[in-house]
Amino acid sequence: MALKILTFGWDYPPIKNGGLGVACYGLTTELVKRGVEVIFVLPRTQDVDGDARFIFANKKNGIKARVVDSPLVPYLSSNSPLYIFDGDGSRRIYARNLIEEVHHYAAKAGVIAREEDFDIIHAHDWTSYLAGLSAKEASGKPLIIHVHATSFDQAGSKNVDPEVYKIEKRAFEEADCIVTVSNLTKDIIVREHGADPAKIVVVHNGCTELAPVELTPVLSELKAQGKKIVLFHGRITIQKGPDYFVRAARRVVDVAPNTVFVISGWGDMEHQVMHLVGALGLSANFVFAGALWDEERDRMYQSADLLVMPSVSEPFGLVVLEAIQRGTPALISKQSGVSEVLTNVLKADFWDVEEMANKIVALLRYAPLDRQLTEYGKSEANRHSWGKAAHTIQELYEHISTWFPTPKNNQ
Amino acid sequence: MLTVCPYFHVHQPHRVKRFRVFDIGNDSQYFNDESETDLNNRRVLEKVARKSYLPTNAILKELLAKHPEFRFALSFSGTVLDQFEAYAPEVLVSFQELVKTGRVEILADTYYHSLAFFYSLPEFERQVTEHKKRIQSLFGVTPKVFRNTELSYTNSLAQWCEKNGYTGIMAEGWEPVLGWRSPNYLYTPTGCSKIKVLLKNYKLSDDIAFRFSQQSWKSWPLNADTYAEWVHAHHGNGQTINLFMDYETFGEHQWEETGIFDFLRHLPTALLRHPDTTFRLPSETVAAYDSVGVFDVPHVLTWADTDRDLTAWVGNDIQKGAIAATYALENDVLQTKDTALISAWRKLQTSDHFYYMCTKWFSDGDVHAYFSPYESPYDAYIAFMNALSDLQLRVQHALSAQLVEKGIRDKKFARPKQLKQRMRKKAGVA
Repeated sequence: MALKILTFGWDYPPIKNGGLGVACYGLTTELVKRGVEVIFVLPRTQDVDGDARFIFANKKNGIKARVVDSPLVPYLSSNSPLYIFDGDGSRRIYARNLIEEVHHYAAKAGVIAREEDFDIIHAHDWTSYLAGLSAKEASGKPLIIHVHATSFDQAGSKNVDPEVYKIEKRAFEEADCIVTVSNLTKDIIVREHGADPAKIVVVHNGCTELAPVELTPVLSELKAQGKKIVLFHGRITIQKGPDYFVRAARRVVDVAPNTVFVISGWGDMEHQVMHLVGALGLSANFVFAGALWDEERDRMYQSADLLVMPSVSEPFGLVVLEAIQRGTPALISKQSGVSEVLTNVLKADFWDVEEMANKIVALLRYAPLDRQLTEYGKSEANRHSWGKAAHTIQELYEHISTWFPTPKNNQ
Repeated sequence: MLTVCPYFHVHQPHRVKRFRVFDIGNDSQYFNDESETDLNNRRVLEKVARKSYLPTNAILKELLAKHPEFRFALSFSGTVLDQFEAYAPEVLVSFQELVKTGRVEILADTYYHSLAFFYSLPEFERQVTEHKKRIQSLFGVTPKVFRNTELSYTNSLAQWCEKNGYTGIMAEGWEPVLGWRSPNYLYTPTGCSKIKVLLKNYKLSDDIAFRFSQQSWKSWPLNADTYAEWVHAHHGNGQTINLFMDYETFGEHQWEETGIFDFLRHLPTALLRHPDTTFRLPSETVAAYDSVGVFDVPHVLTWADTDRDLTAWVGNDIQKGAIAATYALENDVLQTKDTALISAWRKLQTSDHFYYMCTKWFSDGDVHAYFSPYESPYDAYIAFMNALSDLQLRVQHALSAQLVEKGIRDKKFARPKQLKQRMRKKAGVA
């Protein structure tokens, strides 16, 4: 008997919005391949890649009224205007609006849970936690909370968003099982949220096995001039440590002036980072490439000599797997989940700018190091596939389904 | 008659500190880490002296006094002797006392615990000579039996040893080389007539060196009586049981809490309980028994890992790159005649540096991880290459200084001649 899983996510490819959608896609595709029936719920109508059955919560009618009564909306007073969004999936800045969307999603989740037939609920990332809780309340089915990030990672400090923290804490308390993408994340939620370590399972992310495609490189003119290219690929925000990247670049240029640093991404610190580049006299060594996706991103990976991920707190760090799989060696912060599973990468503490610079220069100077990290990194990345992660998740589903042997129907 | 021939290998490298790229050209000290980590050579040596060298030597001294039959061999790297002198002279004294009994033999070795034999024969010979002189001056003895770094062995090394007057050489008693034959006899290396090879009985040696504290091992916990029975079982089908292991097995690899010291303390009594069992030094062993056949190793055999080859040191790209860059410096560094530069270069040849760069994580990885003071093989490589780059730079500076000096010297003598010629020309003399 195939297990049926009611899964809640927030976005999904082909919409491009960072690692969460990519992870949900990778995992779901592999689960479906393994015979798990996945019903994937998304808050808004959108295009989707892949094979799961999709439900778009905004298509559900007649639920607005329930939201007001719902005990799942503790922050909305009865006269709060309900935020109703259209189906174009336009991205909103992380703010009060998002909290309201999250509550709205939760209310619809309860209705969906009453209508659908399934065995287990699986909710991805904090924006879906309330939806998961609401589905659990409506159906009595076990709930798995999948932690891709925490408010502490986003903040890069203890100065977290109190509303998000409340949602996280409640979800961790009420979930039957918690999946974290790394031991680093597990430690954070045990320490900061008081989550019960006995119900946490660590399932590291993976990458899609792919045949290497040789693309026309970018920045070929720079490379023709013998310049070396060091890449930062990610959101330009405090969590990702772009300022440490710039400070390390300053030290690198002191001894290796022929190095070009590319920042690919967008984010709230973009201007601050540009100012820092100017202030440190690095304007001639920096390229701001904007956000790159898919083939453009792969082209950049293949052109770069090194990818640097200096994150202050990185629950996993999919970008590293993607890059080394495509033959780009990586220097990663030790404060990342991916550093728990990879050995053929360079590692440094995010705050140790000298050490980061030391390792960047070493890679650019010593050809055998570059060669070996490239070759070994590729095969190591391929050992961490989504198939492996999905296998663990499937075992978890089977294990959890034995806790609730008789199917309950909430009539 | 069955004889037991124990030999303990004593070695510590000069570990390279976290030498950063920014230190190149600015810092000429590579081995002076002062942190609270295992990169701090003084700290490691003092720790191992406390946990292993001093307590083990005290036991060995007792055993020598108690059993007139007891004897064993030691091999020292020059790098550990230098560190004893600098950081723990009392350890050196305790070793000298053991050797004074005349029942402790010292083996020949390379001074810098290097793989020089496989990269530069002249450099290898210089290191063996330096080692011999050091042993003579510290212990007053001259080694007769040779042991190469990591027990690395090949036919041509044995041939070199025979030519240079050694009576024996150590090697791993590895089945793929031995076939059906036993390691508990002596053999003649291919191409040799006088020298004999002593083969390590790796099963009995590793029972102590590796398995002693393994609780998953069926023979755990091992006591000296059981172990002596295993040795005695070879009566009638062997002449010598060669037990070769790291000295640091006692107290460092196997901690005191495992009972390793009690085991050592009782082992001679247990072994000697059998009336026809005794101890022999390596030089006595090669004198006592005839060779029973030929030992043929055209490739390189070592005592490491499941491969018993050099791949733990020069198996991957970064290891090969690092060792090639090191030996590529040979001519230039020797030409400087600068003892500080030459000594630093030789310290960088110590095999441990390359071992720390080993990436065989998945099969033999645990052993390597345990012995590495670096967080990763790549960290080890970067520190090493940065230090080597600094050394290259200093060598280049020294050589250009020599050229300038030579130029000045030449000019001094040349100038009067040139002047004379010019004056002659001016004067119209042909």
